[in-house]
This record gives sequence, structure tokens and C-alpha cells, in this order.
Amino acid sequence: MKYRFEIIPSLCIGCRTCELACAFSHAKDKKPGRSRIYPLAYAPDKYVPVVCLQCDDPACVKSCMFNALKRNEETGAIDLDEERCVKCMACVAACPFGCAMVDAGHDEIVKCDICKGNPACVQFCPTKALVYNKV
Amino acid sequence: MHIDTPKKLEQWRRDCRKRQDSLKKKILVCLGPGCLANGSDKILDEFKKVLKDKKAKDVSLEAVKKTGCHGFCAQGPMVVIEPGGIFYAKVKKSNVAEIIEKTLEKGEIIDKLLYSDPDNGHKYTDYKEIPFYRHQVRISLRNCGQIDPDNIEDYIARGGYAGLAKVLTDLRPKEVIETIKKSGLRGRGGGGFPTGRKWESCAQIEAPIRYVICNGDEGDPGAFMDRCIMEGDPHSVLEGMIICAYAVGSREGYIYVREEYPLAVINLQKAIETAREYGFLGEKILGSDLSFDIRISRGGGAFVCGESSALMKSVAGEVGEPRAKYIRSVQKGLHDQPTVLNNVETFATVPVIIDKGADWFVSIGTPKSTGTKAFSLAGKIRNTGLIEIPMGMTLREIIYNIGGGIPDGREFKAVQTGGPSGGCLPADKLDLPVDFDTLTKAGSMMGSGGMIIMDDRTCPVEVARYFLEFLVHESCGKCVPCREGLLQLYKYCTKITRGEATEADLALMERLSKTIVTASLCGLGQSGPNPFLSTVQYFRDEYLAHIRDRKCPGGVCRELIQYVINDKCTGCMACLSVCPVGAISGEKKKLHVIDQDKCDACGSCHDVCTFAAIDIK
Amino acid sequence: MAHITINGKVVKAHEGEMLLAVIKRLGIDVPALCNHEAIEPTGNCRLCMVEITRPEWEGWKKNVTSCLYPVEDGLIVNTHTPELLEIRKTLLDLQLARCPNSELIQKMAEEYGVHETSYIANVEGDNCIMCYACTRICEVLGKSAISAVMRGQKKVIAPPFGEEPVDCIGCLACAQICPTDVIPYEDKDGIRTIWKKKFELVTCKNCGKTIVTRDFADYLIEQRRIPHEYFETCDDCKRLELAKKMGGLITKAAEVAV
Repeated sequence: MKYRFEIIPSLCIGCRTCELACAFSHAKDKKPGRSRIYPLAYAPDKYVPVVCLQCDDPACVKSCMFNALKRNEETGAIDLDEERCVKCMACVAACPFGCAMVDAGHDEIVKCDICKGNPACVQFCPTKALVYNKV
Repeated sequence: MHIDTPKKLEQWRRDCRKRQDSLKKKILVCLGPGCLANGSDKILDEFKKVLKDKKAKDVSLEAVKKTGCHGFCAQGPMVVIEPGGIFYAKVKKSNVAEIIEKTLEKGEIIDKLLYSDPDNGHKYTDYKEIPFYRHQVRISLRNCGQIDPDNIEDYIARGGYAGLAKVLTDLRPKEVIETIKKSGLRGRGGGGFPTGRKWESCAQIEAPIRYVICNGDEGDPGAFMDRCIMEGDPHSVLEGMIICAYAVGSREGYIYVREEYPLAVINLQKAIETAREYGFLGEKILGSDLSFDIRISRGGGAFVCGESSALMKSVAGEVGEPRAKYIRSVQKGLHDQPTVLNNVETFATVPVIIDKGADWFVSIGTPKSTGTKAFSLAGKIRNTGLIEIPMGMTLREIIYNIGGGIPDGREFKAVQTGGPSGGCLPADKLDLPVDFDTLTKAGSMMGSGGMIIMDDRTCPVEVARYFLEFLVHESCGKCVPCREGLLQLYKYCTKITRGEATEADLALMERLSKTIVTASLCGLGQSGPNPFLSTVQYFRDEYLAHIRDRKCPGGVCRELIQYVINDKCTGCMACLSVCPVGAISGEKKKLHVIDQDKCDACGSCHDVCTFAAIDIK
Repeated sequence: MAHITINGKVVKAHEGEMLLAVIKRLGIDVPALCNHEAIEPTGNCRLCMVEITRPEWEGWKKNVTSCLYPVEDGLIVNTHTPELLEIRKTLLDLQLARCPNSELIQKMAEEYGVHETSYIANVEGDNCIMCYACTRICEVLGKSAISAVMRGQKKVIAPPFGEEPVDCIGCLACAQICPTDVIPYEDKDGIRTIWKKKFELVTCKNCGKTIVTRDFADYLIEQRRIPHEYFETCDDCKRLELAKKMGGLITKAAEVAV
């Protein structure tokens, strides 16, 4: 593992810049609904940016019958091959953290791929609550 | 008894022949499909019953033999008495006692039972002299009608398993393949792929298992060559398969037979069991290192399962649908293992080629299509039945010399070869020699060997419509051009027969046909438009007559014809009484009239009229 | 690595991969209706046909379905010959005759200049184009709960004997993969109905949201070794749980190894 993606909840102000950045860098129609990350308010005015944790032993990969989820050895992320995805929702149900997300409007799985090694959310986070560093 | 050396086989053969010769007379009762339908089994029983009750001189009970198809189905049920080949046609149960009394005991010929030539009334005693048989050369059908399929001794006495013994003692697998290659034998199932090359490519592939499959899924309407071989001479198929197994190195074989051929299944099953018992199947065949066994796989009768890749799926227990053969079956066939698949007739021919040599086989037929081919003659022809002719014989020779021409003084219009997806050839193609390449060039194909002859009362559009209907029904429905394209062709053909089509429709059909031919997945789709393409090629004027003039020159298409009573009418009231819609009116001994508004052109009146008083317009 | 020529351009490709994959990678627009990455190709729709030849074939060419034709070194491929365009147009025209109401087919046919079918349209019947995507995806799951039954025009996709499919686990893969959306299903009051079979949906113990059926969850627990407690709550609740846990670590950053 060459890189580490860090989330620092205490710095998150819930501005949703990460959400927009993610949507813009991924989705064809650039709607925030298709974002892979968003600040979740777990208590009044307390936020945590939730995003896929790219687990070491990922339940999503195990649950996928069609080999649509695979570890990208270069970025370390678990990438979703949209050509292979059948949208059966197995990964959504199986992820223990609920981070294989569904784009409600399109019934499509949206899954963080760390922007192929250059995460947009990290670039745009104004408070540096998201950090992507070489280890 | 277990035959474990070729020497023992020869000893046994001598014994068999001795036993056969001890029967001074033989009564061969045909139990082929046609004769059986006419009650030949009852004739067989009657022979046995009469002979049991009465001790006839020189005739034992064993002398009565049930045999497979003799071929001359139009004259069935038939009984042949050997020696002499005395041929009795259209035999009835009531004739049996007379045959035993006169022919068997006294050696007299019963004149009324002999076949007489309808042209000149000449009567033939020996069947070999009848024109139907005289022009034939029987190789794959060599034993059909000559032996009791259940009795392996009959087969052995006629040289059975000699080819196998020769292969196991004298030839290495490579030499067997060389012999078959040299013989020029091409697949009799329709494709015409060189059999030797098929075996060779299968043998060259490294694999733990290889399969040999015999395709007995004869699905063409009107074709029954394979059926007759499987029913009448099952051991020849087994022998061919065992030789193939030796050549390619296989241990396991399947015969795929359709469920509609119950007798073929029974006879093959019996033959397999007997062959196992005598050591022709199983471990160490004839004491050699060859081990091979055959199982029967029964098909549900889908036409598409005659296609090799669909057949293999069906054998494996999957839905019988073809796959794209970019990787060929000889590489990846049944269970993804190298597989040789040949037709019944091909396998039945193999033992003879081995026995008599490739040069002998090459001397028959044409240079590129060697040997003989079995055909079933059906339709508007006098001598319907099963024939085998040397390749290169012309259609005219087949239809007129062997087939006896068109009955009822009608004229020949077309012959349909190659089954439903074959094509119709008109009168000016009658002098074409019958071989693989010539028929394909003429827009038809050899197919498995069905030949349907049509007279001048046939409408080519209706013929195309009929065969397209069959193909639409039998298309597996997997790929789009075949499933949807053939359906559209059928719909437009129906439109033409109703006089509702335009010339633009005809052009659309021709364009569509091109796509179906090039884009379909398997042979069924690729050849599917043939009934339309060949009829439109040779009978375009009749298509145009339907479209432009709303007329059916053949007088077949109901919507386009009228039945009219002419002045030959005697007022017999026969037509009046058969008309199902009450369209005919008239009094006794007065001219009848057909009310065209009521008439739905069923033709019943025309069929029943004995005065030729009803014209088709 | 093999070198093949596609529309005059030499490209590298893996020996044995299917031509269609290479063509798609190059961004060449070859339509395909029955092809999907997750399932084995079968060549039902015939739209992806391309023309192939080799120098040693001396001008002989043939049309093959690119989804089934493996890459061989030296192959020369053409994807848009006049003959191929005619084939694709005719095929889409035929599909449109079968499914005149399918939006997908209408759109694809439109691209080939077919605004209305030239043939006799099928007025009844659904939008099923018989691509087998549903049966093939079910096979990948090892279930094969549905298959193509009958033949020719009568062919339909159905469970055995038209009854409730015994082996179906209600995963919805068939309905989701269907290019023309003809497999109906309904999620209502904690029950999913598909192929006339009713399935209990796993309900989130906190909020009541449903995602997958109990049978599918059991399948994943058993076959894929997913701990059963993962299915107790829904993704929304699991995310909230995650946020609470991470928010609790105020001073130290939540480290997530990548």
C-alpha cells in the first residue's frame, strides 16, 4: 500500500464541497446524487464524510457474483466495472459500512474509486478533513 | 459366445454361412416403415402360423425372415423368395397360404402377385431385373431387406465385421484415416464434408477423451434413408462407428436417434447388446487393445437437433440449440472434447470401404463425389421408395428410370432436393448430375437425401410457403435472422398465395433472404430462405402471376382459383353431395352450377368428379 | 499479444479475447443487444457481425459475430462494410417488427435509418428480444431458475413448467440485466414478487428499509461467506453507525488503510 486516505471528522464542517467535487469528477450528468462521498450529520452540527473504506477483506467483492468489483492494485481502491455490474444490490446489502451506495435516481451502484489515484474530494476539501498521502 | 480373435470371427462366419445355406429356401418379408404401415407384420405372422401348422417340404420356420426396408415402398407389402429373388408385390394376408403351397412347395410362380410394368405390362419375376432395382447400386443399403436385423448371424454371413477385423489386424489408425481420405467419402448428412479429413483433425488434437457420435436425427419430411438403415441393418452402423473409434482413438460413442423412430431405437439397442455379447463392443474388442462402447441418446424430434452442435447439446442434456462453430466440433464438441459426428449412412458405408478398398469406392460416382447416395423418392412419382444410386446419375435417370416417371399422365414440374431447406429444381435442370457440388451450384443442395417430385398441379409459391412454415415452426428461435426473418418470409409468401402482395414485397423478400443467409447462426437459418430463393429463381413468372394477375397457374392457391363446371357434366350429383359448404346446385341429369360466392375452393368436387367436368380457372 | 487490423488501423490485443471487446475498447460503434460483460456470449442478436479476412485467404472474406470470434494474430477486421450496414439495418428492422413498442429498439433502429418497420409488425406480444441475458445471468449464479422454453416463435423465457421457479432467489439480476426491461417485479410491503413467486425482503431492524430478499441474503451468507449480521441493518443505518463511531474519535484521525 503506497497511499493512505485519511478522514479527520473533527475538521469536517459539512460544507458538501466533497460531494460536488465527486459528482463532477464522476457522473455524466453531474448531479450530487451520484456522489460517492457526503458529509453525514451524526449529531447536530457534527459531520463525518462517509466514503468507501476500501476494506482489506471486502465483503462487497465477496458478494459480487459477476466479478464486477475488483481491487485496483495501482490505486488500492476497489473498482466497480460498470460493464459487468448487473445492479443486483448484493454489495449494497453486504457492505458492513453501507458504503457501496446506490444512486437513487438511476438505480445504479456508485462506488468510490479514489478517482484513479487523484481524489477530487481531497483536492477541494476546504478544511483538509480529507487527506490523501504517500505512506 | 465371445469372439476374441479375428480368426475365431472367420470360423464363426463359415458356420453362419453353412447354417444359412442349409435353409434351402428363404422368405423375406419386408417390415420397413411403408410395408409395416400396410400390415406386413400380419403377413409375417401368417407365414409363421401356416408353416407351424403344416410341415412344408424344404421350408423350415427359420426360413421366414423379417427384414428391413426393400425400398420399393409403392409396391408394398412385399415378399421376396430366395433363391431366385421372386418378388411378390402388394401381398395380402390371404395370399400367404397360396405362396407357401405353390411357390415354396412346387416352385411355381404366382403371376398375379408379380410386379408388372405399368407402361408395357411386362411382368418381372426376379426383382433384380425390375427397372427400379436394376439401375441402383446399393452400398449403404447393402443389407437392407436382405437380413433379419435382430439376427447377428445374418449380418456376419454377409461379411459383417470383416472390415473391423481387417482394421484391427492389418491397419494402424493413421492408415484407416488414409483409406477413408483416399476413398473421397463425404458426409452423407448433407454438408458433404470429407469424412477422412474430419477424422484426421479430431485424431490430431491432444485430449484425454474423444467422442464418436452418429447422427440419426433424420428430420427432413419425406426422408427415411437413415431410419431404414438403423431399423434394417443396425450392425453396419455400429461397425462403422467402431472403426471410427479405432481411427481417432475414442472409447465412447453415442447414437442420437429421434423418439419418432421407436423401431430404430429397439433394433439398435438389441444390436448393441448383441455386439457386446459377442465382443464387438466393450473392452478389448476382438482381443485387440481397442475398447469402445456405444450408448443410445434419444432426441425429442426437434428438426434443429440434426444440426451437429445442437445435437451435441441435446446429448449432453442441455437445450438443443446450435452454437457458433468458430471453434469446430472436432476440437471442442460433446462436453468440450474433440468429437467426430457423422451421419448414419456415412458410418454404414465405412465398413465396405475398408473391406473392399478405397480404389473400389473411388471407381463409383464422380471424381469429387465418390460412391453412392441413398435417396427417398416421394411426392408425385410412381415408384415412391428408398433408392441408392451412384453419384453423378442425372435427376432424369433417377426420376424416370428408377422412379418410373410421373403418375396419372401429368407432367413433371419440379423436384425438391435436400429437405425443407433445400431447393426446387425445374424441368430444364433434369439433366444435372446429382452430386454435392452441382446441386449446390444450381441453388439446391444434396441434403440428407430426400427427393420430393412435383407435377404440373403444384404451385411453387405454395411449396415455398409450406416449407417456410415448417422451418418457422422448427427454427430453434435463438438468433434473430432465422427466428424473425423466416417468419416474415413466411408471412409474405402467404400474402402472395392470397393475391395480396405487391412487387415491392417480392423485392423486400429477396433483400431479406440475403441477410438471413449471411447473418444466421447455423445451417438451418443459412439455408432457410432456399425454398423461396430457388422457386423465385426458377418460377418467377408464377410469382408474378400471383401478384400482377391474381392467378395461380398451378391451380392450387385457394384464394386465386375458381372451380367451374363445364358442359361435360352429366348431372350425377356426386359433387353436389360432397361439397361441404353447399355451393353446388343442380338437378339430376342436368348441368350443375357452382355458386362462386359460397365456394371456398376446397377442391372436393374436382376430386370426386369422374367426368373431368370441373375446371380450375 | 496479437496484432490485428481493425478498419485499417493496426492494434494490439490479447490472443483469445473476443473481437467485440477490442472493438469496444477502441470506441468503434458496433451495436450489440445480447452482449454483456458479466455473461458468456451467445451470438443471438447478430448485430455485432464484422467482416474478417487474412492475407493468406487470398481475398476470401467472411462475416462473423465479433462477440464470439477470438482474436488471432494477423486478422484483418472491417466493422462497417456496406453489407454489414445492410445486415444491421435488416436485423434492427426485424427486431422492430417483433417489438414495435420497445424504446431501445426504436432508438437503435432510428440510428440505422429505420423509422418504422418495413415488415409485418407483431401487434401483440411483449418487448422480449430473446437475447437470453436473463437466463445466462441466472446461470452465472448457479441457479438457472429460468430458461428459454419451446422453440421458434413460441419461444419464451419462463420458469420450469410455467410455475413458480423453485430455484429462484429473487435477486433481480434477470430483471436488471434485461436490455428492454420486460421482466416485471414488484417490491411492496416487505414482499418482492418476481416470476409470480413471492419473497420476503430483509427488513432493516432500525428503519425498516429493504434491499435484498431473505433468500438472496441466505445465498450470500452461505455461498459467499458474508457474516449474517451485515444484513441486519440497511446501508443508510450502517453509514450512520459508521459516522457515529468515527465521530467519536475526536482527536485522532480515523485511519483507513488503503
